[in-house]
Amino acid sequence: MAAFSPRTVEAPDDLLAAIDWCYEQGWTDGLPVVPPEVSRVTSMLAADPRPPETVIARHPATTLELTLHGAAVNAVMAGCLPEYFPVLVAAFEAMDRPEFNFHGSTASTGGSAPLLVVSGPYGDQISMNSDVNLFGPGNRANATIGRVTRLILRNVFQMLPGISDKSTQGNPGKYSFCIAERARGNPWPLLCEAQGYPKGTSSVTAFAGGGYFNIENHGGNTPEQILGSVADAMANYGCITLGQSVVILSPEHMQIVTSTGWTREKAQDYLFTHAKRPVEGMKGVGKYRDSEYDRQHVASAHALTEAGFLHRGLAPSDILITMGGGDAGGHSCFIPSWSRLRGSLMQHAAIRPTPKKE
Amino acid sequence: MQLYVPTAPPPKRQAARAPKLASLQGARIGILENGKLNAPEMLNEVAALLVQRHGCTVRKLASKRNASAPAPSNTLTDIAQEVDFVITGLGD
Repeated sequence: MAAFSPRTVEAPDDLLAAIDWCYEQGWTDGLPVVPPEVSRVTSMLAADPRPPETVIARHPATTLELTLHGAAVNAVMAGCLPEYFPVLVAAFEAMDRPEFNFHGSTASTGGSAPLLVVSGPYGDQISMNSDVNLFGPGNRANATIGRVTRLILRNVFQMLPGISDKSTQGNPGKYSFCIAERARGNPWPLLCEAQGYPKGTSSVTAFAGGGYFNIENHGGNTPEQILGSVADAMANYGCITLGQSVVILSPEHMQIVTSTGWTREKAQDYLFTHAKRPVEGMKGVGKYRDSEYDRQHVASAHALTEAGFLHRGLAPSDILITMGGGDAGGHSCFIPSWSRLRGSLMQHAAIRPTPKKE
Repeated sequence: MQLYVPTAPPPKRQAARAPKLASLQGARIGILENGKLNAPEMLNEVAALLVQRHGCTVRKLASKRNASAPAPSNTLTDIAQEVDFVITGLGD
């Protein structure tokens, strides 16, 4: 077997000139990158004990492969620190599963972006933001882990805008779309616990997100009022499909929803029950299809599925719901899935931090 | 300064185009539709033109459940055994 010999290239020694040179190579997302200088990549690779040629994801159509080395090069370019690397690796291990279909969700006119949700203690260990301005700028880990996801899709998998990425409009998350779940004050089990990982193990969930809907409700005082406005957003005619959903409740909204003891499962049931549109309404906007209705109303359909209506998703478990954001404000959000059907299903994987050397 | 290249090396699998058919006359058509809203209608229309103009026959209609994922290999294997060429397209 041939020795692993990653390709190197000479760039200008002057840092600013090297940044410009990276632009000229077509290696960026439109923003400046950190030139992937050899020693920086070596430091990044030290964050994973496996050989650098280890393949962590494959493109199903072109068979292009993402190795740990390729991930590390792009992580340097995005501005990641080595301690972020295990999150990135876990994210691509999750996205590599056929059910996630990262090729389709990136190539499609739908314009989705992989949303990464980090759950568990590792987010705090690398100082991720789960709090105020959750989806906004300002936190290096959130920003650069999200950014490197895009750089890898672009540079390694050659998902190039206009060529192999045919997004009609795309969405701002295609620059970066990465958050941490808020553990502080969260009354529900963390996602990593609900996903069945051992205590202390963190996870990252990848979801092909089709955009961001702010849900404002400063007047609701009951779980039904808050979740009713969330369900309405989930079922708007512009985005209702059989696909999955992500709902991030603000702490204010979460406090109201759980004030009378609602569990995550009860909230999921409520949202699935109410995020629906009548068949006649679907026909009215030209989106009704027998095949979709039939798929949702099979004999084995979830018990909450209502005849004569098209729900969002196939079951309550299609709705990932947790808490994030700052203490103040009645602003939650709903993130729809890519695809009018179920072209991509969210996936999660364990984050494996680098063992500390004695 | 020395940089690592952030792109992947060329894929190991090199895809090649199938040889061109010598003639369409009497050829057997397979249709691979991807489940999009108008895919069967559009592809059947194309097939009808080939039947009319070249005496082709439609032998197989296969469907993909996920429009955005590659067709399962057994779908391709099955269809390849019965036809001379396949028509496919988005149909959105």
